[in-house]
Amino acid sequence: MRRLSLYVKLQQLEEITLLRDILLIYGLFAIYYVMSVNVIYFSVLALSFKNIWTVYRRSVFSKFNTLAGSDLVPSVSLLVPAYNEEVTIIENVRCLMTLNYPNYEVIVINDGSSDDTLEVLTTEFNLTKLTNPEMRNSIDCTAVTGVFYNPEFPNLYVIDKGNGGKADSLNAGINLSHYPLISSIDADSLLEKDALIRMARQYMENPEETVAIGGDVRIANGCLIENGQVKDFSLPNKMWPMFQAIEYLKAFLGGRIGWSSINGLIIVSGAFGLFRKDYVIAVGGYRGGYPGEDMNIIIKLHRYMLENKLKYRIAFCPEAVCWTQAPESYRILASQRQRWGRGNLKNMIENYDMAFNPKYKVMGLMTMPYNIIFEALNPYFKITGLIALVGYVMLDMTQWKILLVFGLINFLSGYLFSIGALILEEIAFKRFIKISDLWKMLFYGAAKFFGYSQLGTLWRIQGHIQFLRNNNSWGAMTRQSWKEKSDTAKSA
Amino acid sequence: MFSHVTVAIYFVYVCLGLIGLGIALLFYMKLKHLSTLKKTEYYQRKHQDYFKYLQTQLYEDQELPLPPGKLVPLEKRIIQDKLMEWIEQFKGEVRTRVIELCYKAGFVDDEMEKLDSLYFSRRVEASYRLGMMRATEATPRLLDMLRKQRYSPVTTIIGRAVSKTADQESQLMEMLGYMLKHGKSIHNLAADVLLETRLDSSKILLQLLDHENPDFVKVALVAMWGQAVPEVIPALNRLSVDADEQDVRAEAVKLYLSSNPVLRDDTIKQLMSDSNWEVRAAVAKSLGNMHAAGSIPLLRRAMQDENWWVRNNSAESLAQLGETGFELLCETAQRGSGLERETALFHIEKVMSEGSDHRALDQMVTFNKKRLIYDRYFGVIETSKPVRKVAAVGGDYSA
Amino acid sequence: MPNSATLQTSIHENLYQSIEEWVKETKPSVYGILFLYASAGPTNLDAQVRRILESQPNLDFEVWSDGEANRQVVLLPELTLDSVHFQGLLLKQRLLEVLPNLDLRITLASFPEQGEASQAVLKQMSDSVMKSEASDIHIFTKEEAEAAKNRILIVDNDATIREFLQIRFELQGYETYEADNGLVALDLIEKLKPDLVLTELNLYGIDGLPYIHHIQQIHNNQAPKIVVLTEQKVEQTISQCFERGVDDYITKPFSPVELDARIRRCIQ
Repeated sequence: MRRLSLYVKLQQLEEITLLRDILLIYGLFAIYYVMSVNVIYFSVLALSFKNIWTVYRRSVFSKFNTLAGSDLVPSVSLLVPAYNEEVTIIENVRCLMTLNYPNYEVIVINDGSSDDTLEVLTTEFNLTKLTNPEMRNSIDCTAVTGVFYNPEFPNLYVIDKGNGGKADSLNAGINLSHYPLISSIDADSLLEKDALIRMARQYMENPEETVAIGGDVRIANGCLIENGQVKDFSLPNKMWPMFQAIEYLKAFLGGRIGWSSINGLIIVSGAFGLFRKDYVIAVGGYRGGYPGEDMNIIIKLHRYMLENKLKYRIAFCPEAVCWTQAPESYRILASQRQRWGRGNLKNMIENYDMAFNPKYKVMGLMTMPYNIIFEALNPYFKITGLIALVGYVMLDMTQWKILLVFGLINFLSGYLFSIGALILEEIAFKRFIKISDLWKMLFYGAAKFFGYSQLGTLWRIQGHIQFLRNNNSWGAMTRQSWKEKSDTAKSA
Repeated sequence: MFSHVTVAIYFVYVCLGLIGLGIALLFYMKLKHLSTLKKTEYYQRKHQDYFKYLQTQLYEDQELPLPPGKLVPLEKRIIQDKLMEWIEQFKGEVRTRVIELCYKAGFVDDEMEKLDSLYFSRRVEASYRLGMMRATEATPRLLDMLRKQRYSPVTTIIGRAVSKTADQESQLMEMLGYMLKHGKSIHNLAADVLLETRLDSSKILLQLLDHENPDFVKVALVAMWGQAVPEVIPALNRLSVDADEQDVRAEAVKLYLSSNPVLRDDTIKQLMSDSNWEVRAAVAKSLGNMHAAGSIPLLRRAMQDENWWVRNNSAESLAQLGETGFELLCETAQRGSGLERETALFHIEKVMSEGSDHRALDQMVTFNKKRLIYDRYFGVIETSKPVRKVAAVGGDYSA
Repeated sequence: MPNSATLQTSIHENLYQSIEEWVKETKPSVYGILFLYASAGPTNLDAQVRRILESQPNLDFEVWSDGEANRQVVLLPELTLDSVHFQGLLLKQRLLEVLPNLDLRITLASFPEQGEASQAVLKQMSDSVMKSEASDIHIFTKEEAEAAKNRILIVDNDATIREFLQIRFELQGYETYEADNGLVALDLIEKLKPDLVLTELNLYGIDGLPYIHHIQQIHNNQAPKIVVLTEQKVEQTISQCFERGVDDYITKPFSPVELDARIRRCIQ
């Protein structure tokens, strides 16, 4: 009996050792995973650093005053989809109509709002319904019920149509637009006066190959805004917007400048981007039904250009700034992030064939694999890695250090990246004037890793779960409208 | 196993070190920037009187006085910035006087020295500032920089500087050559850069039109929009017939037509059946302005064109061509089909909704005549009753 | 008689404003204003003036100054231009009798015959007396008064431009105001009724074309002249501006001399 029990014990011990080894190996794998994610982050950051000087020179040593009043600049149609925006739409349209740009039109698309969005617009600008407006049906979209216009404001059109989602509204806008370039702008965002001309200048530097340009999106919470002008710049006072401000800075300055320099940009923010209309039409316009239409259009453009072996670039213009209201409450932020998670997963699944396919060059060999392995699947690797290491330490308490190392790697590398982004900001833009702002940034940059990051992971997973559930009822899937957003959720 | 953890620990150390460095750098940059801002404000206040005085003296005959006292580099830069702002805003005698002041204060020499700097950013900055100060003697150096520069936003910065400083046409030509040699189609940007010159641009444009390099011709064509230069019309006429490149010819035709030339009927016919839609659209548009009633059948046919712009311009021209044209438009709206019908309807409604300015008698007469025709076709209008809306037929990918 | 009570010359820091207030309070149906200046005059010039005026029967008058002994203002209620001029001649003659070497300059006017005695007009009168070369009495005409009244509102986002234009126009005797955005400009136009608005099209707050339209609407029949000074060179915009009643359109970079000429042409 004794022998037997000893044998069992030994066997148990062996099993435990085996389990421990497996856990450790997986845990180490997770550590390496995190380190490689960070190595990639830092390579992109290094590219951003290399390119920030060009950005700096372009924004400081060249003026756009001659361009801003010249016929030589291509005309642009600004497309502003609006769903239940009656409170803010007037101010936003007014602001959009005072851009420093020679030739452009503003097309507001009322996406079947249930409030008085259309009425406040027609009253304010004294618009009347055009009989027989000419819509070019280049792209399918929900039926347009009317186009409103007033010759007194020659550059403003308002389209009224049934609810069909943001993508659908943009398509309707494209059908009415008269100019070769289109720019999508969120109805809750505020463009700096020079944002569009800066972007157009970048476009003019290589008009044939440029198919899209993204702008820099910043958080307006906390800033003093007057007459469509950011008068006094300061950081948000509240916690949630503050975390987002750092996130945006990291993503736009640290990430997108680098990715765009190797033409591997996967997204142009829906809040502010410039596109060549002919190519957008060529890829069939925006895709409705799911969120993430801004990423989707860029992936489609990459695919189209690469499959047709056309030389192209998708650029990023960090000096063209768009200010947006960040969600201030937990609930709205969570729903925004879940939506992003859902859209992101959908885009990855739809386009998985591009990953690791040398035909798609940078897009296929770097951007897509990166986004699938290191972005979409990131939460799973991190969480399982953490569980494995916790299990391992539970079995052998003497190894607690390894947990600490795992935690530190996550925290320090992320923090380093934040600091890198702050330095980029300081080199090229210097928008934060106060030294207290710097302290605040540094503090929140660190605090982000104790709670906020974990929430981010959670939201992403929730988004994925939502996606999979919707997926079951694919056929019954209704168009994803902005309904979620109707609770004043402001998306970026 | 432990070696793996060691790697991870090293990684942690490296991160820690870099974070420390980064934070130190950030504070250094921030503090430096703040102190520069403070000093700038101080110096701006200090020299406020001098600036005010200069502005009262800009028109007198005596030389403008130099800034008083010995200046630190930042002060110099602030004064220079102010002067450069004036140079950019003014034309004529006043500008020349400010430029002279820049020379006298030694700003031009300072920047010339910086052209030899080891730092690329400094050299670019110097070229930008030399351009602003219209420093003629810098042109050869700038051209040299431009020649060696690989294509980037800096190309435009230097190109602009050359255009501003150049005092010979040949330098501008050289500049254009360097900007365009990278094979990017930056004609609009190049035209904008070229028009910064102080030299007589119409003479240069004329030269460019005759150039063997089609890129130069394109730059000239886009630069000529809005510039009425009668001497170039013959060259345009030649280009609109002979040019090999599609877009060169289209641009030339558009420009040529914008000068309102007298066209022969067969020329019109030929142009209206051109393979390039831009040409057809331009001709359709100009036919309305020429009030050539003989072109109505051509416009009627063009309403069926596959391109939206051609259809649109034809309809617009028809609406301009008196009662006959308008009646034809109504007829098309009633009997025609598909796209041409839609275009016609749109323009009819446009004419009707615009109404007439009742202060001008002749306008009122024309409008009422059109209204009569409208009523005959669509019934009486009461406060812009909409014409039955027609659903679009098929897709149109032409615009 | 009111003057007998004021034995001392009253000194007013804001001389022109005080005169305006005096007119408002006493409401004379007509009144003359006489500026008198004697470079290197005696410190008791005011006493001399007062003595001469007091010696005349039934003359109502006030002698004011802003503290400079050699510059005096004489207010003459209920006198028309010819009487004011006569008083001027008299004053000059008597003063020269007492002080034969006095280098005396006089500028005078009667209101409302010669317009409205606004601060700008008074300042212009005072300038004219200081600058006048001839020793003859200068009668300040209505045209001169009108030139002084011209108010220009400068609207531009760029402070450098505003400063430059302001200095330039003030040198030329215009009254200038400035605004850095379209909405403030519309407000000021309503309040100040400027004679001319010199404006950039590209402004914060309101789009250029509706902005022009608004200006035209503010004072129904008395819309100010509008001169656009802008970076905007697009032909269509230019023609749209003229269609909406803009008086002149100048593109930047501009020649200041040419700008002056065009402004003058618009105002006259």
